[in-house]
Parts: sequence; C-alpha cells; structure tokens
Amino acid sequence: MGGVSVNSGEHWMALEGGADGSPPGGHYTSRFVGIGASLPERRLGSEELMASTAHRTGIDLERLTGVHERRIAGAGEDSYTLALGAARNALAYAGCAAEDLDVLIVSSITHYVGGLRMQLDPPLSVSLKSALGARRALSFDISNACAGMMTGVFLLNDMIRAGQIRRGMVVSGEYISQLGRNAALEIRTIMDDQLASLTLGDAGAAAILERAPEGAAGIEVAGFTTLAEHSRLCLAFPAKVGRGVSMYSDARTLQEVGIEDTVPMLREALDQAGLEFDQIDYFIPHQTSARAIKKGVQEFTERMGGGPKHVVVTVDEFGNTSSTTHFVALWKYLTEGRFAASDRVLLLSIASGLEVGIVIFKVDQLVERYGHDH
Amino acid sequence: MGTIIEASATATASEHRRSLSPGSLELADAAARSCLARANRTAEELDLLINAGIFHDKIISEPAFASLIQEDIGANLTRPAGAGHGTFSFDVYNGACGLLTGIALVDGMLASGTVKLAMVVASDMDPEPGISEGFSFPGVGGAVLLSADDSRAGFTAFQFATFPEFAELFQSSVDWHDHPGNGSAHPDHPGRNILTVEIAESYAARALECAESTARELAREQALDLSQIDLIIATASVPGFADALATRLGIPTTAVATLPDDLHSAHTAAPALALQSAELAAGSTTLFISAGAGITVTAALYLA
Repeated sequence: MGGVSVNSGEHWMALEGGADGSPPGGHYTSRFVGIGASLPERRLGSEELMASTAHRTGIDLERLTGVHERRIAGAGEDSYTLALGAARNALAYAGCAAEDLDVLIVSSITHYVGGLRMQLDPPLSVSLKSALGARRALSFDISNACAGMMTGVFLLNDMIRAGQIRRGMVVSGEYISQLGRNAALEIRTIMDDQLASLTLGDAGAAAILERAPEGAAGIEVAGFTTLAEHSRLCLAFPAKVGRGVSMYSDARTLQEVGIEDTVPMLREALDQAGLEFDQIDYFIPHQTSARAIKKGVQEFTERMGGGPKHVVVTVDEFGNTSSTTHFVALWKYLTEGRFAASDRVLLLSIASGLEVGIVIFKVDQLVERYGHDH
Repeated sequence: MGTIIEASATATASEHRRSLSPGSLELADAAARSCLARANRTAEELDLLINAGIFHDKIISEPAFASLIQEDIGANLTRPAGAGHGTFSFDVYNGACGLLTGIALVDGMLASGTVKLAMVVASDMDPEPGISEGFSFPGVGGAVLLSADDSRAGFTAFQFATFPEFAELFQSSVDWHDHPGNGSAHPDHPGRNILTVEIAESYAARALECAESTARELAREQALDLSQIDLIIATASVPGFADALATRLGIPTTAVATLPDDLHSAHTAAPALALQSAELAAGSTTLFISAGAGITVTAALYLA
C-alpha cells in the first residue's frame, strides 16, 4: 500500500477498480466466467400460499408484490443441496475443475442441512469443498443478509485484482421459503411485519470469478458500504411457530431509506467507472417486489438524470430468493441468450444492515459460454 | 508493508458488570470499544468491521451481526453530506477459526489498499441458557484492530486446511423439538427451536493432529524452524489444547499464551483472549493457530 491514502475522504464506499485506478494494489482485472443456478422443480403460487394463512388476511399478494409464484424446496432439497447444484452448474459453464478454485466462499443466510436443521458448525463450506473436490481452496462461510453473494463477489474481486488468487467461487443455497410458511401461520393484515417473508423463494446460485487476460473486459467497479443506522430494520430468528426462521421487517422504511441512501452510492460507483446511469445496458436490482423495483428505478432515474436501458425483473417468477437474486437473474438472462457481449451490467444490492453493494461489469465472453454469440 | 495488530481487547461475561446477563452483542460491543480505545482510534476511522462470532443473541441470522455492532459503536452510521468514508460490515463463519480467517481477509484488503483500518470482532454466549443443549462455551467477546505498516512485517503467512472426515466430531445446530420438557414457546405450537452443541470426546485429539500437521506444513512452506517460535497462540474451544500442541511441535510451554482457567473453553474469541496474556515483543515470531468444527484449521505467522 505504501502509505497511499485511498479512503481518506475520496470515497464513502469501499471501492475496487475504476477511473482513478484505485485501490493502488489492483494490478489485474477479474471477470465472471461462470454463473450457475439450481432451482427446485416445485412451484408455489401466491394464491396458494395466501390460501394457507391461518387468519383471513384479504391480502392480494400478487397484486401487491408482483410475485406470481416462487420455487420451493422439495423432499431431499435444502440449503446445502441447492448450493451444491448451483456450484456444479457454474463449474460446467466456466469450463474449469473444482480443484482449480483457490477460494470457495459460501454466503447463504440459511444453513439448512437435512431438512430444516440449521447447521452452525461446521460451516457449510467444509462439506461443499469436499463434495466438489475443491481440495486446494481456502474455504469459509460469510453472512451478510441478502447481500451475501455480492459480498463474496466483492471479496473475490479484491483478491483477484491484487494478484492474491487466480480463481474463486461464491455460492449460496437459500432454502428460505419456510419463512413464508411460518409467516402464513401468524400474518393478519397488510401492515404485518412478516409480510416480506411471503415473497421469498428457494434457489441456489454460484458465481466463478477469475483473473482476466491482460486487456480483457471484466468487473469495472465493485463497491460496498454498511449504513448501520438502519441495522435493526429487518431481523430474523428461529421461529416460535415451527421449524425454521421468522423474519420481521419494517419493509416500508427499509425501502424508503434504501432508495434514499443508494442514490449517492450509485453516483459514486458510476463516477468511479466514468459512466452515467444511462450507459448501463442491464440494471439488476435486488428482487424484493415488482412495485419496489419500479419505484426505485423511477427515483434513481430522476435523481441520476437518466436511466438504464433495461431493468431486469425476475421476482414475478422466482420471488425474492434472498442472497441469490442477482445471480439467478444473470443465469436466466445468460441461458436465454438475452445479453450481447458488449452489454454492461450493474448489479445493485440493498439488504438488511443496511448494506449497499454495487458491481459494474461487461458481459463479454460470458455470452459464448452459454452457447450464444449474438 | 505488513498487516499489524494495533490493539486487541476482550470482554467476558463474568467481568462485564454493565448488565446481569450480558448477551453476545453486549460483549462484542464492549470488546470493540475497548480495542479502539487502546489504540487511541475512533469508530469513524474503521473502513471494515468483520464479526466472526457464531452464537449470537436470539440466534439471529439476519442482518449480519457485524452491522449491529457497527451501529452500537457508532461507526459511520449514515452518510453525511460531503466528504468522509464509510464502514463496511459483514460476518465470517469458520467455526473457531473465524477470527483468524477474518484477519486473513483483512490482510488481503489492507494489501490491496481497499481498506486502511479494520477490526475483527468475535463473541459467543449461550442464546438461551437452560434451554440450549450441550452449550459449554464461556461468554467472551474479543476484538483485534488491524492496519498496514510500511516498516513492519506483521502477518507474513496464512495456512488453511480442512479435514471433512472429522465433520461429525463437532456439530452445532438449531432444530425443532416437539413437546420439550421445558415448555412450549407458543401455545398453539407445542415445541420449539433449540440450539444443540455436540462435541465428541475424540474431537480434542483429532483437532491436535490436524493442527499439528497444518503447523508443520506452514513451517515447511515458510522454511521455518518451529523451535524459533517465541509465542504460540493456539485455540480449539477445548481445555489443554495450546500446551498439548506446543509439546507436539517442540515449542517450549513457556512460549504458550494461556487462557484463564475459567475461560479455557472460549470459542471464537479465544485468540483475542490469549493475546491478553501475551506480549508481541518487537522482533518476536508468533504462531497463531486455531482448530474448530470441520475440522478446520487456520494458522498464521506474525513477526512483531
């Protein structure tokens, strides 16, 4: 570091990459080479979920949130199996072996192994590393609410940029639909603090990052910050009404402060990348509800003086899959051949904490890895 | 340029008098504040805050426990108009190796220049005394403050190893128990979620073997004669581990940083606790090594 001040008033966020070349330790570019997903077959419609509530609520969940259905784990599926499936899927697209991984990060909020048994020790990364055969990988778990996978990307990007590692994977398996099942037992009105739990869906997702060849495109800027003034707006604990967890959130305030606090962070990350918001081809925000996304995009566009060309919404078909949302959306768009190699994507995480994370990257070679050439 | 320990601090449930039954958050907050004070730093100076503790109050799974600590200690809670830098918080879970794993992550981010000052905090406390099963760890919070220094070596190497064949020997989980003897948490749902910790008798012996092989691997890679170690900070959440490991490695027991008798089973905060009884004298070489569930081992060399 050589005593160079990189964070003494220049940036609010911890930032990697960008126009001024900071931080000075970044010598390489990192890029995504494989995005994998694992989605349970079983689907649960919002209508069916709301028909199961213990009390008559009168809530039209689909109209309110835009969630038509979500996937839910079936027999034999849990956080671990979803993560493992996604990890293998990502390896296949990346065209590398598990033993090529230098780092393996598991970033699930949920740690269910063997049904709804929440495993605290050992970390899930130990068994995943073993099952994948990632024998060289430094492995550990992280937890950062719905920003978990994005946090993992931030960590891997930093290590790759600095030349500390060549390749790493971040993976999450979220068996989180049980929060909705628990909420259905207690929820009474639209003002209930467990309302957001009803939007949750299960999914596994994995992302593999590696050092890009010199001059190749990849992650342009990654940034994170925690505005802890709002740390207690969304809290989850083991449920009192049954297996699994219950989550209590002040969703309205979270949405308001999330939008308000994100504007300067978006500005900072885009400035660092030397970009305007309207130069983003695909904007992938955290998938909470269609209404929240619409409101957020409107506000961001107004305040930034222009908006992205496309806004990715997957909450209608998958619900909010917590830490995996951005990567399930990326995987969907990649497998459906919806990106061009020249497209620039901005991933935005707004999560309990309050975490704000941003990753800006060029799709580039990822397109070919999914059998599309555009 | 090296990653150096500016300060470390702990808070124990037995000493902490602020409340009758402090939780893990209170212990983490106290250790974090004390650590900053010892280094004559303010919370606003922190770029990064990592929590590595596992057994949280209410077994909270969201948000990151680190964000609650960040709010409590007042580290850049909201973005002011104008200049300034924020704090980024998240949790690392790697069993009893969490604190050293957090230090390794900080080491990487200090080297890349992404952060300048970081703190790793860990605390554990029985979330439901009298209800949890098998919980034997004393309530301890610990914090380690790290920064980069051009003129010192600091942490020079890290070594990680996992031994999944021993995964069954140390397990903790939260699961639903129907009709528990101690009553129901909810009248309509007779049962409750209960934390269970299970440590097999053979864990201590296997942890020693795993730690020894990892330490020897580190020594081999770093061309280090283990007899040159001036201080060993070895933890595995079970009593007697540090002395036994030192003996196996040929390190004199006088070089062992000891834990107080009533805290010898300290969990994730144990390395910070051991640091309190030791001095990182200038020119000395310290071997940090933690073993935990997995079995996972993390080792590090520190040149003060």
